[in-house]
Amino acid sequence: MNRTQLLLRLLLKAAWVRKDRAFTALVSVAVVATIATAALTIYSDLEGKLSHEFRGFGANVIVTKNSGALTPGELADMRKIVGSTGEIVPVGYAIATETTSKARIVVGGADVDKLRELNSSWSFSNAGHGSTLVGARVDETLAHGADLQISFGKASTSIKAGTVFHSGSDDDSRIYLPLEDFMRLTSIQPNTALVRIEGKPQQIQSAISQLSAALPDVEVKPVRQITQAQTAVVGKTRSVVLASSAVVVVLIMLCMVATFTGSVLERRKDFAVMKALGASNRAVNFLFASEAALLALTGSVAGYILGCGVAFWIGKANFDAAILPQPLLLLPVLLGSVVLALIASTAPLRLLQQIQPAGILRGE
Amino acid sequence: MFLRLLFESFRRQKRRKSVALLAIALGMSIATAMIAVGNDIGDKINQELRSLGANLVITPIEDTLDVNIGGVNLKPASEGAVINEQELIKIKGIFWGHNIKGYAPFLNAPQKIQTRNGEVDAELIGTYFAQPLHYGKDQFFTGVRSVNPWWKVEGAWPPDYGDFPEQFPPDVLAGSKLAQQAGLSVGDQIEIGGRKLRISGILNSGGEEDQSIVAALHIAQKLLGQPNAVRRVTVSALTKPEDAFARKDPDKMSPAVRDRWYCSPYANSIAYQLREVLPNVRVEQIRQVEQNQGKVLSRVSGLMLLLTLAALLAAALTVSAAMAATILERRQEVGLMKSLGAGNSVVASLFLTEAAFLALAGGLMGFLAGALLAHRIGQSIFGSAIVVHPVVLAVVLFAAVLVTFLGSVGAVRKAMQFDPAVVLRGNA
Repeated sequence: MNRTQLLLRLLLKAAWVRKDRAFTALVSVAVVATIATAALTIYSDLEGKLSHEFRGFGANVIVTKNSGALTPGELADMRKIVGSTGEIVPVGYAIATETTSKARIVVGGADVDKLRELNSSWSFSNAGHGSTLVGARVDETLAHGADLQISFGKASTSIKAGTVFHSGSDDDSRIYLPLEDFMRLTSIQPNTALVRIEGKPQQIQSAISQLSAALPDVEVKPVRQITQAQTAVVGKTRSVVLASSAVVVVLIMLCMVATFTGSVLERRKDFAVMKALGASNRAVNFLFASEAALLALTGSVAGYILGCGVAFWIGKANFDAAILPQPLLLLPVLLGSVVLALIASTAPLRLLQQIQPAGILRGE
Repeated sequence: MFLRLLFESFRRQKRRKSVALLAIALGMSIATAMIAVGNDIGDKINQELRSLGANLVITPIEDTLDVNIGGVNLKPASEGAVINEQELIKIKGIFWGHNIKGYAPFLNAPQKIQTRNGEVDAELIGTYFAQPLHYGKDQFFTGVRSVNPWWKVEGAWPPDYGDFPEQFPPDVLAGSKLAQQAGLSVGDQIEIGGRKLRISGILNSGGEEDQSIVAALHIAQKLLGQPNAVRRVTVSALTKPEDAFARKDPDKMSPAVRDRWYCSPYANSIAYQLREVLPNVRVEQIRQVEQNQGKVLSRVSGLMLLLTLAALLAAALTVSAAMAATILERRQEVGLMKSLGAGNSVVASLFLTEAAFLALAGGLMGFLAGALLAHRIGQSIFGSAIVVHPVVLAVVLFAAVLVTFLGSVGAVRKAMQFDPAVVLRGNA
């Protein structure tokens, strides 16, 4: 039997004969690796996932042309910057008059379906079959669920009772018509676009500056309370997740180190026997260290896989979208666990080396 | 004898005990910190979401439609109904008055403004900036500075004048776009309706106010000749995310169910209570804010809940493993006790009592450390403390005992399975 074979045998026997000891050590390493992997995976994807939740706030940028209508070229430029995930809804506005009461109403023209999609927080109730969107206050004060007769200049039209919406904003005093109907009535082209840029706070900021640079004749106004709240909430949540994960990972690491150290100290007799049989300090160190490294490696691989599973499941359960494993994390998690285990197992040996083997064997 | 065994065990095995104690304390401080942070995160993020501004808006029921395009108000000042400013203090008196973080009244009308460069048309808006108000014994400040935190002023915020000062021109804000167009800057004087005003700051709100003159409410009331009049009030309230129950009609509920609805801080029930105290008003959710903040809030709280659960499970496993490890190393002791005639139950109760002591001591230490950590997290991230509820102490102590028992029981059982003679010989 050569030295390598002996070493392997010692390692295997140590794990096999005291299965429960190996198992508890394995569990504590695996738990550390699991929680570290899960926390880091979630943290790395959190900004995107949380930012996605802000899509419901609707337009986060409003683009207005002060003179004339938005040209198809300008709209195409906007589309290029906003990308396929964002939304652009061109809107034209005019003031019409309700024919019986002579009340003035702001009428908007837009792609009604897209407008509804953009403002998903509005509540809609179907009052009729028309394709218009009627603001709640217009319905309360003028329409009462019936058709409306409105005029603009010399043109006039009848608006079929459509969907009534509640927004809680100025829009409640407005009527939105399909764009073609609006243009037929008023001959006004859209000069405003409601834009929702999707992405992380800094991506939104850069898209806004690109828009302002690309469209010199147009005013680009971020809806500041939304972009600001998004930045604040996403940032603070990330910090909380990071801080609490750091606390958990560090404490649980200490816990693991304590367990490891404890169990090495319990093996002072093994240590003394080896020394008494003539093993050098280096050989003993090497044996204990390789045992720890082997355990840590197995435990951390298991922990990494489990941690990815935990992160995936948390993503599914909380954001309805999986948080995918980060292969980049594998190496740091493995290395970290092995280094920790090495430190935890070799540090107590140094203590033991100061005592005579005979003393330990005698039970001192 | 039992007590002596227990005492000696702690006295003689200090190293072993301190490892176990450390593991329990660490595990329990994780539990305390995570429970505290997870429990408080909802409130903290809710506060952050207040930067979205008000989530409820109050308007007079008799009001005519707003005629407003691109930030330009075309509704004449004489048209429409108003709310009496004196009534507004009742907002603080509703059942959920403590959840009202602030409110801001608005009175606005298009005006002709004389500047040194000539006359311009702009909107005059009157509001509270940070108006001191008394409700009962409480004094509080409310206005746009807290309700619309995204309003930025270059220069100084004007004071909230109680009445129009006759001796000197009162301070007002000029919207940034208006200031640019009309060439206004801080310190300039303007005139509305023959009365002089001084611009103390340039307002940048990113909204329609950028094209207006914003004055203290009482100044605007005087200029418009509408004492005590308010056209619109926005209210910022801490609310619970809307669910199916929140959307039900309270008038169709049984009294018991209605009470439960009334006493939940839903936006709908707060709106209902506002309508009770203010006659002839409509209270509408600002849906863009109210509907979405609930969604964001529940996502963040949900995430923290799941993370807390994962951390608790991890802490429990680690503490159990540590406990098991220390007991497994003591099988020789078990062998010795058994060969001296101790029954299984005596051995088990000795080990479990030891575990319970360790758990209680470790749990207490962990609780204190965890509370400190949670406090630090709250201070550094949100600038306000996260308070740990005393109930958490009970939960943590209970959890500590439970987890150490779970770790110990298996190990003790394992240790007792062996033949004492074999264990003492060192073969097991």
